[in-house]
Amino acid sequence: MADGSTSSEDTTRELLTFIALPAVSDEAFNDLALRIFARQFALNLPYQRFCQMRGKTPRLVKSWRDIPAVPIDAFKEFTLSCIPAEDCERVFMTSGTTRGDVKGRHHHPNLAVYDASMLRHFSEHFMQSDARLPMGILFPTETLMQNSSLAHYLGLAVQHFGSADSAYFLDQSGLRTDALCAALQKAEQSKQPFALLGASYSFVHLMDELQARGLSFALPQGSRILDTGGFKGQSRDIPMDDFYAQLSATFGIDRRQCINMYGMTELSTQFYDAGNRSVPSVKRGPHWLRSRVLDPMTGQEVARGERGILAHTDLANFNSVTTILTEDVGVASDDGFVLLGRAQGAEAKGCSLAVEDFLKAARG
Amino acid sequence: MTIAHTEDVSVEVFKAGYLPGLRNDQVRWKRLQLGTPKDALTVEVPELSTDQIKTLASRIRQASRAHLKSWPASDIIRTIDTAIARLLDAQDPYRQALERLLPRATGFDSDMVRLGLNSYLQTFRALQLQRFVTEDFANPKLLDEFQPRPKGGWSKAIGPDLLVHVWAGNVPALPLWSFVSGLLVKAGSIGKVASAEPIFASLFARLLAEVEPRWADCFAAVWWQGGDDVVERCVFAEADVVLAYGGNAALQAMQDRMPVTTRFLPHGHKLSFGMVSKAALSVIRGQTTARAAALDVARWDQQGCYSPHVFYVQRGGPVQPLEFAQRLSSELAALASKFARRSLTLEEAASVASWRKHHEFESLRQAGHRVQGDASQAFTVVYADAPQPLLPSPLNRCMLVVAVDVLQDVMPLIEPQRAYLQTVGLAAAPEELLALGEALGQAGVTRICALGSMTSPEAGWHHDGRFSLLDLVRMVDIDQSAELAAERFTPYEL
Repeated sequence: MADGSTSSEDTTRELLTFIALPAVSDEAFNDLALRIFARQFALNLPYQRFCQMRGKTPRLVKSWRDIPAVPIDAFKEFTLSCIPAEDCERVFMTSGTTRGDVKGRHHHPNLAVYDASMLRHFSEHFMQSDARLPMGILFPTETLMQNSSLAHYLGLAVQHFGSADSAYFLDQSGLRTDALCAALQKAEQSKQPFALLGASYSFVHLMDELQARGLSFALPQGSRILDTGGFKGQSRDIPMDDFYAQLSATFGIDRRQCINMYGMTELSTQFYDAGNRSVPSVKRGPHWLRSRVLDPMTGQEVARGERGILAHTDLANFNSVTTILTEDVGVASDDGFVLLGRAQGAEAKGCSLAVEDFLKAARG
Repeated sequence: MTIAHTEDVSVEVFKAGYLPGLRNDQVRWKRLQLGTPKDALTVEVPELSTDQIKTLASRIRQASRAHLKSWPASDIIRTIDTAIARLLDAQDPYRQALERLLPRATGFDSDMVRLGLNSYLQTFRALQLQRFVTEDFANPKLLDEFQPRPKGGWSKAIGPDLLVHVWAGNVPALPLWSFVSGLLVKAGSIGKVASAEPIFASLFARLLAEVEPRWADCFAAVWWQGGDDVVERCVFAEADVVLAYGGNAALQAMQDRMPVTTRFLPHGHKLSFGMVSKAALSVIRGQTTARAAALDVARWDQQGCYSPHVFYVQRGGPVQPLEFAQRLSSELAALASKFARRSLTLEEAASVASWRKHHEFESLRQAGHRVQGDASQAFTVVYADAPQPLLPSPLNRCMLVVAVDVLQDVMPLIEPQRAYLQTVGLAAAPEELLALGEALGQAGVTRICALGSMTSPEAGWHHDGRFSLLDLVRMVDIDQSAELAAERFTPYEL
């Protein structure tokens, strides 16, 4: 029984085993979700009060669906952690684009679970059958952005799946377009697949610059792209279609190999689609992450096929809260959900603007 | 003239607009879907070419010179009154069309629309319109002919040849204010109907033309996609005056397309709130005060610029602020069954839910912060014991009640919103009225009314602190020197 007496180390061990399983039953997911909930209820005091206000205690919650979902805004206003914040190995922060000074904080006692979650799921959906690929990263390194979960994520990608000639092409001085062009040309000649990964907005910057230079590439078969974060202030469907069309044309990569990762600082696990031949695409999470599409007024799941607000239960969030309520609109599909964009009026967030700011600062 | 067309049995299509001199088949129409998916209303709005707009503008300018400028203001008032009387007549086909179409297009409760229309329309009857004119023109004959001035010389107020209106759709029938103001100053008008409520202005234009056929070419109700650079530049270049309602970003964009010679009268985002003195919180009066407050919240589901976002309530009365908040909740519950709330879009619902959750978290942090009731109700009242700044509510009957020791404590809380302040619904004793009025006026407020009357501005109110008619006209002076000089050119000798 996981409750206040279970340590971070025990929970970590149990989760690592869980993540390593090929698949799990509904009962196994439910069982672990309820035990982690009990522990968070006991140790995470702001969350405990939130649950009590809703009349939900571990004694009453029998299904992971009944675990109270925390709005992501709460990560800004409260320290959501089972152990003292100062004992945590790492804090990831949201970029806090519009409320500037207030940043959401996600406390991780260790990164073992985060990393295991990332590696397992990334390997399946992005690496597919490849062990390593030469990677070009359109994002600053983890050293430059220590509180960015995306910087850490991309660092893991390079470290575990990048071949020796992988490189970062964004730093304090901005986008290193010359170096990147050289790398892309080399990949073209080598006939070896190449992977480009980064924030969606960086790709927009890059494509603008390549267009200005009149450059495009035909990367070898098997090359692929991972973009994440969207671009602030644009409606999602039509520009998204243009975005993938342009990506495909600029780099000579089939849209089926242009994969979008949907992730957020408040989660420890990511979602992927199987390429963007048509948009919006279906996003899928692994067996330790389940999503629901909710009516925001009642908090109940909407009828199949209706739009609602996405809530995610991520068991890898063992220290903060497993279940979060996003501000993203989606529709459920057979094995995932279609992401339709951000609820209008909700605060724009995401790593994209961090990069935008970064580039601006770099340009002086 | 047809009021609404039915093109097939299942779907009613309302053709919006009023376009004198243009046949339907000469115009490109764009379809808009209004209402809820369960009760959709298809509306077709006209998309005019710039040539069509120029022709329309010239036709309206000429007609307004011939049939408005030459009319005495009192005759214009009589004609408007005839049209308003018809809209107040439950048997009139235009009234029936409004009652049928407005609730479907806007989603507002049909009883709320019916009663709201009545109280609104009665402020446009002849007596009120006379008062409306006198409010801006102590001598209303200034609108008809040159009038002698006390300092010497003569003056006349001349309305624009072409007044362009850009209307908003947050509250039904909103265009009537500026439509009538334009007529009172004898202006030809082109009004852009809002995509969210294209019904009222279209029908009112048709009704006026039916009541007074000589006015048939004096105005038009048009539509264009807000922000269309080419069309807006064209329309604004034709106008003498542009009166626009909308968000500040949209208004800024309009201003950037406006020739410097066109007078621009923007009405942007506004924030209104209520204040309750302990004088209004006796055991007996407390309930009436809460009922009045609840009406201000429920009417038009807080969508008006005059609708309250926060109530500041004074401590120390027999009914304390927390109890006031509870009574407000029970009054809102009663109103929820009388006037159902609009069904919210997913985005609106998400915004309400996120506001509610924000306050739930706030209540974990601050003792005395409470979210009343549960999320399934069609309203939310949040009570705050600690001072809270005036911030926009997510609307749709979400109200923050804030306790204060004295009402003067409110002034620093509203100060950051100075540029946006408009109406204050006030329940206070006579001796408090002028002192609070002074402080609120200094803070940026432009209208103070009784709690319960926030959504019903009086005829002749100074909308956003401005003059409804004076701002539209230009004064023409004949200086005393011209008069004296003229005396020298008489055929007879003095």
